Amino acid sequence: MSSQKMHRRDFLAVTAAAAAGGLLAPMIASDVLAAPAGQKPAEGMYFRLVTHGGDDPFWAVVKQGMMDAAELYGCKAEIDLAGSDLANQQKKFQEAVASKPNGIALVINDDQAWDKPVEDALAAGIPVIGINNDDKEGAAGNKRLCYIGQNERRAGYIIGRTLFEAGKAKGIDLTKAHVAMAAEVPAAMYAQVRSAGVKDAMAEFGITSFEMIDGGGIEMTTNEQRITAYLLAHPETTFMLGAGGICTDRLTSALKNAGKAPGEVIAGGFDTAPGTVEGLKSDYVLATIDQQQYLQGYFAVIVLYLYNKLRLTPNIDTGGYLVTKENIEFIEPLSGKYR
Amino acid sequence: MEAKGAGSYLPPSDYPAKRLVVDVERKMQRRTIQNLSLGGFSTPLVFIITILIFWAFSPGHRFLDPRNVAAIAKLTPDLGVVALGIGVLMICGEFDLSIASVLPTCSFIFTQLLMAGVSPFVAFVLLLPIGAVFGLINGLLVVRTGLPSFIITLSTMLFWRGIVYVASGLMPISILPYIPTGSPFAQMLTGQIGPVPVQLLWFLGIALVLGVVLHFGRLGNWIYATGSNQDAARAMGVDVRLVKIVCYMIVGSLCAFAAMMQATRLGSFAATQGIGFELKAIAAVVVGGTSLRGGVGSMVGIALGVFIIQILENGLILLRVPVFGVNTFIGLAVILFVIINNLTNRQLAGQGF
Repeated sequence: MSSQKMHRRDFLAVTAAAAAGGLLAPMIASDVLAAPAGQKPAEGMYFRLVTHGGDDPFWAVVKQGMMDAAELYGCKAEIDLAGSDLANQQKKFQEAVASKPNGIALVINDDQAWDKPVEDALAAGIPVIGINNDDKEGAAGNKRLCYIGQNERRAGYIIGRTLFEAGKAKGIDLTKAHVAMAAEVPAAMYAQVRSAGVKDAMAEFGITSFEMIDGGGIEMTTNEQRITAYLLAHPETTFMLGAGGICTDRLTSALKNAGKAPGEVIAGGFDTAPGTVEGLKSDYVLATIDQQQYLQGYFAVIVLYLYNKLRLTPNIDTGGYLVTKENIEFIEPLSGKYR
Repeated sequence: MEAKGAGSYLPPSDYPAKRLVVDVERKMQRRTIQNLSLGGFSTPLVFIITILIFWAFSPGHRFLDPRNVAAIAKLTPDLGVVALGIGVLMICGEFDLSIASVLPTCSFIFTQLLMAGVSPFVAFVLLLPIGAVFGLINGLLVVRTGLPSFIITLSTMLFWRGIVYVASGLMPISILPYIPTGSPFAQMLTGQIGPVPVQLLWFLGIALVLGVVLHFGRLGNWIYATGSNQDAARAMGVDVRLVKIVCYMIVGSLCAFAAMMQATRLGSFAATQGIGFELKAIAAVVVGGTSLRGGVGSMVGIALGVFIIQILENGLILLRVPVFGVNTFIGLAVILFVIINNLTNRQLAGQGF
């Protein structure tokens, strides 16, 4: 427990130092940012995060990031969760605008519905930035000032590239390689965009054979059954990916069921669920992508503060952090609160 | 129609009570044996044909590859153990959709007990009655309100799912620190005896016990009687409400058992354990020759039905059917099996079997 706390404190310190060093150091001398003695920089400011999120661990970590930044900067910040209900989220957004905050961070999970509300809020003098999910066309599709979140396509590209590089290093003829990707809900946006990223990496390595596997929903055993059967039916599978946390969690067991030795099929995916962690430790899983959603809450507060003070509008890609056997020992104890 | 059926069981007022009970039991015994032979005939046939088809057409006869057989034997009981209970409950004429949420809730409670330092064996013994309590709640709601069990257990499914989501924050919890791979507890639920996964033995053992209860005991007779005609059963002196509650409690206990078995194999609690089992279990039980209207079914059929449903999914993928299309084929196959089952049953019944 104490070592866990140490890690958390270290992590906070590192993040704070990075933020301060990277973003603030050049301007620290400016009196615009100087807070009166004994006060924190953003004291008196109030920010709102309006999300479509639910009461789940992902958003708990985003909230933690928001609260840590607010504590550090001395401002007030609140997060609204809407349980994926767009109408509810729009109501929350109107309430947030009415409370006249110093800024709103909004999850833009619809390409049309948010165009006018964001415009109206900006016209009323309330800065709005995007977090977690952006308009498909980015700044061209929505007037939000900037966007902070994981670029899902790039995340897919990174995990693909990592696995393919390992294959290449093993001397595998990549032109004959077969890539399979299991998805809990293949039709969902995350699976579509992440697999597009994997295909980007495939093109780069000259790989042409790809199949998406329907994992059969979010039930653990169902996913394992289907991945196992697929591996047995397709012995030509060189690379096996999970598109989401549940499929990735089941990769290790499925590979064992199919009689594969560690590394025989080069496997990887997303998130750090318990089964995935075991897979990393036992060399069945080479790498997995961590979304670093803590940064989405954390940077939302800091960017809104900086916008108020300096009109800065950075776009930040928070995702694509690779977890491997080398860094899993460090990441594991942070899971649930910071990762 | 029903009233008439009930009436036919009503004795003349001067009929000795003891005589009535003996009569009724004989009548039920006959029906049970009939069910056993009918349900126990077409389903095994379908089961064998399914296996032969997948064996013949899977490239390199991969379907019967020892690795595949082992995977089926190991993974099927997660759903299978619960489905056995659902089979008994459906013979009794009721449904339970809440298994999809009771299972992860039991898994969560199990994990919490482990984290509190309780030995896995003690937690195991505690969890079975806890599971039964979930069943008791369903059973009481069903018999007290008189509402369709489909609606009642749909509600309890949503209720417990909400509870387990909030309590767990949807976060998976590793239980490997408490139940390391290869530890005695893990061996008991998920180990191997020779080449045979222990999960399969548990499944067969539970099926055997439930089969004996269903086909050779008084409770079994009451279950069939309740499922085929409640009013008649009541008139015969069967405590219909108690029978239903007991069936729900059996399902609840089996949920707890399956939850622990699955969590131990996964090495973690997952809030998504068991999602979708509610409908898959019904499909398995119906494929196994059980009537959706209750009163008809056999333990052999139910156990084979579970395997047929799981083998379908596995076999279709082994045939290299594009995995996107698997659900379509499962849907087609379930309808086909039910039709075959109905036809054979009717034919056999027609021939006076």
